[in-house]
Amino acid sequence: MADLRVSLCGVSLKNPVIAASGTFGFGQEFDALYDIGVLGGISTKGLTLEPRLGNPTPRIAEGYGVILNAVGLQNPGVEVFLRDDLPFLRKKNIAILANVAGRTIDDYAAICARLDGEVDLIELNISCPNVKCGGMAFGVRPESVKEVTRAAKAALCRTPLIVKLSPNVESIAANAAAAQEGGADCVSLINTLTGMVVDIERRRPLLANNTGGVSGAGIRPIAVRMVFEACNAVTIPVIGMGGITCAEDALEFIIAGAAAVQVGTANFTDTLAMPRIVEGLHSWMDRHGVKNLQEIRGTLRLNG
Amino acid sequence: MKELRAKVLENVPVAAGVNRLTFLLPEAVEGLRCGRFVNLSVGDGAHLLRRPIAICEYSENTVTVCYQIKGAGTRLLAQRRAGDMLSCVLPLGNGFVLRENEQRVALIGGGVGVFPMLSVLHAYKGSGRQFYSYIGFRNKAAVCAEEAFKALSACCAIVTDDGSYGAFIASERFGGLRVSADAERSLPADRKDEGGQAFRRMNAVAAFFEDAERAKPDVILACGPLPMLRVLKAGLAERGLRVPCYVSLEERMGCGIGACLVCVCDTEGGEHARVCKDGPVFSIGEVKL
Ligand SMILES: Cc1cc2nc3c(=O)[nH]c(=O)nc-3n(C[C@H](O)[C@H](O)[C@H](O)COP(=O)(O)OP(=O)(O)OC[C@H]3O[C@@H](n4cnc5c(N)ncnc54)[C@H](O)[C@@H]3O)c2cc1C
Ligand SMILES: Cc1cc2nc3c(=O)[nH]c(=O)nc-3n(C[C@H](O)[C@H](O)[C@H](O)COP(=O)(O)O)c2cc1C
Ligand code: FES
Repeated sequence: MADLRVSLCGVSLKNPVIAASGTFGFGQEFDALYDIGVLGGISTKGLTLEPRLGNPTPRIAEGYGVILNAVGLQNPGVEVFLRDDLPFLRKKNIAILANVAGRTIDDYAAICARLDGEVDLIELNISCPNVKCGGMAFGVRPESVKEVTRAAKAALCRTPLIVKLSPNVESIAANAAAAQEGGADCVSLINTLTGMVVDIERRRPLLANNTGGVSGAGIRPIAVRMVFEACNAVTIPVIGMGGITCAEDALEFIIAGAAAVQVGTANFTDTLAMPRIVEGLHSWMDRHGVKNLQEIRGTLRLNG
Repeated sequence: MKELRAKVLENVPVAAGVNRLTFLLPEAVEGLRCGRFVNLSVGDGAHLLRRPIAICEYSENTVTVCYQIKGAGTRLLAQRRAGDMLSCVLPLGNGFVLRENEQRVALIGGGVGVFPMLSVLHAYKGSGRQFYSYIGFRNKAAVCAEEAFKALSACCAIVTDDGSYGAFIASERFGGLRVSADAERSLPADRKDEGGQAFRRMNAVAAFFEDAERAKPDVILACGPLPMLRVLKAGLAERGLRVPCYVSLEERMGCGIGACLVCVCDTEGGEHARVCKDGPVFSIGEVKL
């Protein structure tokens, strides 16, 4: 059987398949369907210092081959996570990525400091509005990507930092480079693309929040292109995601240069998507005589 | 809870725009219960979200659901034929549970909310309980499962929003209960057919309140559109009726198993509860409607 192990910033994963933030909670529910110990890792629901209630409902809508969500960071707060959820995840022997968010740079630094040494990796969700900058997301301009990354990194002594990039930006390459300059140990992408669905009978947006984040199979070509561009812009590892539904989808990202992948929306369509992807990677690699992921990672050759 | 590929045994219309779908489970599933639901895959690759549908009837190896053909997903579901395979996640949610002391049970169902009520009747068939069913539809063409409601209830009112159909039936098989002359007067009919059935413009909650004193339920179970449940909650408070009441809620879902926090409702305590996992059945006093 092929060797699926990967090492991310010194953290070893038994395979490159990680549950994407917000679609998998803290793992308990999916563990009732299958042993989540077969996964490479889990990125938690976005955590904040204090509990948050999130947005009004409806929080989800469907487009063709995609979904839109506007959950709005509902979470029990970092303390409840540490007390109630982390012990369970620890027993599962998978990499634990704490996905974190904040309203100010200080929030990010504080939550990173609180989680330092408690989890395997910290994933900074910078798609949140910066209340001090008129609500523009931290992740939009390269300068602010660098600033929030630097503040988070300064708060961390032991846990490596992943910066999760927003695709709603001018240049994904510039923002990836800004994250690396700010001290990120890894970048992950893509977060959701902003979209809207209109209920034509009511002539209102279907989501209570008006707009939502687009994810799912339909965004995959955009995500693959962005991951490829980010891989070329940085020397740190890149985690790719966006519309992955099967092993072949995951391989597109790995060949484009991703060290690992995350799977989000596919967990809704097919609750067993991730264990199937792990199995599918094994069988694809065996069929192609590929012994380990390093053999194919970043082997994309451009035409012409 | 499992994700399974089930074989469609039957998928047929039972009323205007409503299908009954029965599928065969490839393996035993624990915890099938009335008021719980299944999450059905549309299965075309374009519609990524599963459709939550209440379990209407079940046996050891089959599950039956009834669904309204509403949007793209249920339209595609309606194209499934006997023999087709269908991916389903089940059973989900908490469901309805009747306690020993809850012997007189009022069931209030509106629209597609009638099916969870039907599931209660099927599940507690032969339990000796007396069910008082108040079942509302938009119009005559939408009326379905009437025979099952009549057969399994001690007393059953079928009403329509537009008055195009209505029936008030008391079955003698359930302890010889009859519609008393009083009760019949208390349901003044816009029109009456020869059998004395009331045909009138009404909704299920109004039918229940007119009959509540006679039915004297130990517990009320309800499912239907939000405005209907709001009227029920307000009506219970106004009348000071302190009967335990449980409602089954609907909300758009992502995962369906409690992980994504997409499907929340507001609780009276100012928190959020997940309809898919903490519900869909809640005590009416527990949730803001
Ligand atoms: C616990 C539960 C039990 C239900 N039981 C039944 C039942 O027994 N019979 C029945 O006919 N219907 C039932 N519904 C409603 C049913 O889920 C929707 O009518 C159905 O999902 C609509 O799908 P669509 O593809 O036709 O519509 P679309 O408008 O194409 O759906 C788009 C998205 O919105 C969601 N959605 C739309 N309306 C609803 C709704 N009312 N509730 C939840 N999600 C919705 C869909 O699931 C899908 O994700 C139930 C809902 C819940 C939450
Ligand atoms: C319901 C839902 C909730 C999400 N919540 C978060 C979150 O809290 N933090 C975050 O960084 N990303 C969040 N995301 C984005 C995903 O982690 C992922 O980046 C995106 O969905 C693209 O991957 P996919 O197409 O495989 O879903 C969420 C996505 C969905 C669908
Ligand atoms: S649908 Fe995911 S928590 Fe209810």
